[in-house]
Amino acid sequence: MNGHRLTLRQRLPLRLDLRGVLPGALAALDLAAIERLPVAHGREWLPLAECFHIETFEAERPSLHLIGDLARVDHIGWGLDGGEILVDGPVGDHLGSTMRAGTVRVRGSAGDLAGVEMAGGELHIEGDAGHFVASPLPGGMDGLRGGLICIHGRAGDRLGDRMRRGSIIVGGDVGDFAASRLVAGSVLLGGRAGAHPGYGQRRGSLVWLQPEAAPEPPATFVPGLGDTAVFWQLFARDLARLGRQHFAGQAMADRLNDLPARRPQRWRGDLAVDGHGEWLLPR
Amino acid sequence: MSGNDFILNGIAVDDTFAEAFPMKATRLIVTAHRIEWARHAGVTATGFATSVIACGCEAGIERELGPDETPDGRPGVALLLFAMSGKELAKQLERRVGQCVLTCPTTAVYAGIHEGEAIGLGKNLRFFGDGWQTSKVIGGRRYWRVPVMDGEFIAQETTAVVKGVGGGNLLLLARDTDAALDAAEAAVAAMRRVPDVVMPFPGGVVRSGSKVGSKYPALMASTNDAFCPTLVGLAKKTELDERIGCVMEIVIDGLTEAAVGEAMRVGMAAVIQRGADSGLLRISAGNYGGKLGPFHFPLRRLLGAAAAGAQGASA
Repeated sequence: MNGHRLTLRQRLPLRLDLRGVLPGALAALDLAAIERLPVAHGREWLPLAECFHIETFEAERPSLHLIGDLARVDHIGWGLDGGEILVDGPVGDHLGSTMRAGTVRVRGSAGDLAGVEMAGGELHIEGDAGHFVASPLPGGMDGLRGGLICIHGRAGDRLGDRMRRGSIIVGGDVGDFAASRLVAGSVLLGGRAGAHPGYGQRRGSLVWLQPEAAPEPPATFVPGLGDTAVFWQLFARDLARLGRQHFAGQAMADRLNDLPARRPQRWRGDLAVDGHGEWLLPR
Repeated sequence: MSGNDFILNGIAVDDTFAEAFPMKATRLIVTAHRIEWARHAGVTATGFATSVIACGCEAGIERELGPDETPDGRPGVALLLFAMSGKELAKQLERRVGQCVLTCPTTAVYAGIHEGEAIGLGKNLRFFGDGWQTSKVIGGRRYWRVPVMDGEFIAQETTAVVKGVGGGNLLLLARDTDAALDAAEAAVAAMRRVPDVVMPFPGGVVRSGSKVGSKYPALMASTNDAFCPTLVGLAKKTELDERIGCVMEIVIDGLTEAAVGEAMRVGMAAVIQRGADSGLLRISAGNYGGKLGPFHFPLRRLLGAAAAGAQGASA
């Protein structure tokens, strides 16, 4: 019995911290032990069963299915190291933060700080995401350190701040300071961006899937000359594959699928820092 | 001389076996803007790689690749490199890719084998970028982008080392030089269509087959006097008779024992099909009595049912 379905009993009056409720951990416990698991609700601890109706189901790998309005439930998938989490409904803050492997999929929107210091696995948000997606924890040096984050809707400010590795694909618009202080990795934007995208970008790639929606590059970016077609083919073909895999039936899939046939205009920067980053505007 | 009672299409197949030994191997994919430049890089990178005796590695172009077979959609070549140790293979790889692929216009280099112990490919070559190099992980694999004068040199960070088989061989014993060359060329042409193998000597053929050891202590190998026509009647032991005027050898290195065996079978089939009128009189193979390596390729067993049928026909 590898799968557990948790259905929220009623809308929560306070915020609930679901740290530690992971598919692998639940798979090792019997149902009674799971029901007794303590979870933090506001300033008190509650048994898990007081918040959720818990059922089991057969699954090939450890799976956790959460159902309900979880907008006040934080830290879903915190530190996930394998297995699968599926959420039907909106979720709170810190979705998938510090996860290292496995898959988290939310059929709804996420709060702030999703994928913070995530180091591997896949995080899919089919709605919108809040601020500081894939950014560092307070005091942390790096944001996203590996893995894939797909946001089908919009994202807030500071998307990918200080991210070091991995990929973020956002279908909609993003807020201010997208890809700010980017150390490395790839950020793909399907819509428009707020103020100061690529601020302090050291390395990494910022891809504007709708080049006409891209702002004028900052004065600290310079045109990238020279032939980079070989790299672009490797990169674009993989992005097309990701599009087919994760955005099937959506306009994003077509945009990603078209990339190998397009030639990117390239800008290098931010010269205020290392200047080894790039903006790619496939036209 | 081995028994000559196995005759196929007028050509005798000796009752002997080729003896091969384990090696470390890898495959590289080299692509370029045009196939000509991929060929230039491939030929250069696999040059001076005929024998581990003095070249450090044995290497060759396995085959040419179409744009739909390469990671970047450009034409390319697949190279196979073999060495006696993973460490030596890594050393040879870095030198050859650094001097012959990195330098060749428009080329890029990728791993052609992904399962096995990883050794550096672009991992150290990236430093040519003098700090301007950047990397990108694409589909779980890291690629280095090194700025060069024609744009960027793209190199996958590592390639994988697998166990290979080196030293499969055929000896083609012919009436004269023309007949021996024709047979060797026909065999190599057929064997080049077999995947996972290369014939590392010039044109796939070696005329200086060797035996282990020498009268000179400093030499670890010397001429295979038993197969030298000019030494018939002089050398203590000869495998030839007065009809044989020229002998050519084809050496085969492969990623698997099965691939080497298949290449030998295909090569023999190609020359047997041409018949004895072509001037080829015998097929033999080099071995060291089973002391050199664990892989043995008995010629008659490789020819299988065809040889079994021929035995009766030749009686």
